[in-house]
Amino acid sequence: MTTDIFFLAEFADGAPQRSALELASGAAELAAASGGRAVALAYGPGAAEGAAALGAHGAARAIVLGDAAAPAITFGPAAAAAVAADQPLAVLAPATPNGRDLAAALVGIGDLPAFGPVRAVRVVDGTVETEQATLQGSVITTSRPVDGAPQPAVVLVLANTFTPAEGGSGSAEVTTAEAVDHPFAQATIAESHEAEAKVVNLEEATVIVAGGRGVGSAEGFEQLNQLAAALGGAVGASRAAADAGWVPYQLQIGQTGKVVKPSLYLGAGISGAIQHRVGMQTAEHVVAINKDPDAPIGEFADLFVVGDLFQIIPKLTDEIRRRKG
Amino acid sequence: MKIVVCIKQVPATTAEKRYTPDLRLDRAATEAIINPLDEYAIEQALRLLDAGAVEAVGYLSMGPESAGEALRRALAMGGDDATLVTDPALAGADEWATATVLAAALDRLAPDVALMGMASDDARGSLVPGAVAAKRGVPLLSYGAELALADGTTRIRRLSATGFDWIEAPLPVVASVTDQVGEPRYASLKGIMAAKRKPLETWSLADLGLDAAALQGAALTRVTDARPPEPKPPTERIENVSADEAAAKIADWLAARKLI
Ligand SMILES: Cc1cc2nc3c(=O)[nH]c(=O)nc-3n(C[C@H](O)[C@H](O)[C@H](O)COP(=O)(O)OP(=O)(O)OC[C@H]3O[C@@H](n4cnc5c(N)ncnc54)[C@H](O)[C@@H]3O)c2cc1C
Ligand SMILES: Nc1ncnc2c1ncn2[C@@H]1O[C@H](COP(=O)(O)O)[C@@H](O)[C@H]1O
Repeated sequence: MTTDIFFLAEFADGAPQRSALELASGAAELAAASGGRAVALAYGPGAAEGAAALGAHGAARAIVLGDAAAPAITFGPAAAAAVAADQPLAVLAPATPNGRDLAAALVGIGDLPAFGPVRAVRVVDGTVETEQATLQGSVITTSRPVDGAPQPAVVLVLANTFTPAEGGSGSAEVTTAEAVDHPFAQATIAESHEAEAKVVNLEEATVIVAGGRGVGSAEGFEQLNQLAAALGGAVGASRAAADAGWVPYQLQIGQTGKVVKPSLYLGAGISGAIQHRVGMQTAEHVVAINKDPDAPIGEFADLFVVGDLFQIIPKLTDEIRRRKG
Repeated sequence: MKIVVCIKQVPATTAEKRYTPDLRLDRAATEAIINPLDEYAIEQALRLLDAGAVEAVGYLSMGPESAGEALRRALAMGGDDATLVTDPALAGADEWATATVLAAALDRLAPDVALMGMASDDARGSLVPGAVAAKRGVPLLSYGAELALADGTTRIRRLSATGFDWIEAPLPVVASVTDQVGEPRYASLKGIMAAKRKPLETWSLADLGLDAAALQGAALTRVTDARPPEPKPPTERIENVSADEAAAKIADWLAARKLI
């Protein structure tokens, strides 16, 4: 057993995902408190080349699980073997579908305690303590492993819980994990279909303009695009808007979409259903435009504007452009 | 070909939640439903049954005895039989313990596809499907917007960063699906009547050959504190003004917070 803090570092298209950089800085922070090292478990296209550079973001070591464009889950057995060899204090995993699949593999193969999705994780009295909003945010719980629980604690971490460390320079010591055969890791990508237009990664946006059923059409979303551009942000959506085909599902925010934590979320024509709310309630500032003065989103927005989005959004876009000069 | 859908009974989405003195959810005092995302898994299984791609659909739940009601409700939607794993030693089970027990039960039921929802409303970890697959040593196909079965392979259509993939694995598999598989059907009156006569078996840990002691109190994690969320500052409202005025006021509000 060690006091190291491992983290999952996903690569795509030759570069680390933002989650990898966030967790590198989180792992470094926790490792400073535990007296161990921050160790990356790097996987996906670009991992072998790019793992060393995670040192600049806080990783002391990086173990490359594999470099292939394969389902993330297939790196599970190698990840479990690397974790079993070190028995670190914690493994931080991004609370994304891929991160959860790999975390689940660790829990199932290694019989380990699992936490999350958490909004905070720290080392207290030499053990891991997490903080989680549960039951649709109705209660905040703090949890720890039971006494005598096996190490590590596997922790799912929400996007934007940690801020990537910038301006560092170090280089992580890189090793390559041995491939491990496991019947569990047999999934393959049979077909890949790319979208025609580029799809942004909402988890990386610091400003999000989200539209719902009230936006009415794909053309209606063009107004939101312009506002988002004026604010330097990205467009998101409710499930109703994605179901209607006005935007791709990658832009859906909520329980079955992305969980986002931007500094500004501006929702237009969205009622604020609980399944949507759990995906955006930790945004720093929430502005809602809705023509229904009793819409549920009015109960938890910081600023609630009662009015017609088609009238207000173009004027707001002009006003912001004017002020920005 | 048989599918077993794993369903969890959870507190109703909008229900008032209560806690026991040891910080567990007081499930007896809270209205319970089938985990909404598991209804989508049921729908996916029943569509494959309707299409003749599978011969039988069963259900499996681990929970208190009252979870039998969730299983009856699932049977009313369709399908053939159900199994409830219930044991006093399982109260407060975490995702590891849940996966351990479900894996043991699925080893017995031996379905071609063990189908799950992508997440439970109360735990929200999405960890049970993958942990069950790892424990059973069978492939995981997770977050399917659609599950397709043909010629001994199973495929799911899964959203990717920029489009979607078809991901494939040989049977048997553990699969999980999202709310994109299609809206769950309602139980008909006939379905509700028929469900009363469908077999529902109850298993204890001993029936599964599992040792309560090895489950370590059913959890490797413990809640040390539960409290209400931090109070939010009151909502500011802009209403009964012209669109021009509203736009100017929103811009002022954003500027005051350095958001523009
Ligand atoms: C298992 C499950 C998972 C789900 N997951 C998600 C999820 O991840 N994300 C998600 O978003 N939803 C999810 N949902 C769906 C959710 O319950 C709601 O149905 C959905 O969020 C509603 O979307 P909406 O707010 O766009 O539409 P509505 O609820 O129909 O609201 C539209 C709003 O637009 C307003 N409006 C209309 N016209 C105008 C106008 N001209 N100007 C201003 N306002 C206007 C109306 O007053 C209304 O409040 C899920 C549901 C289930 C059961
Ligand atoms: N106690 C349980 N009984 C049956 N199935 C469960 C149970 N807990 C979780 N599951 C299944 O696992 C899925 C994911 O749950 P979770 O990992 O808790 O988010 C659920 O949608 C169910 O299909």
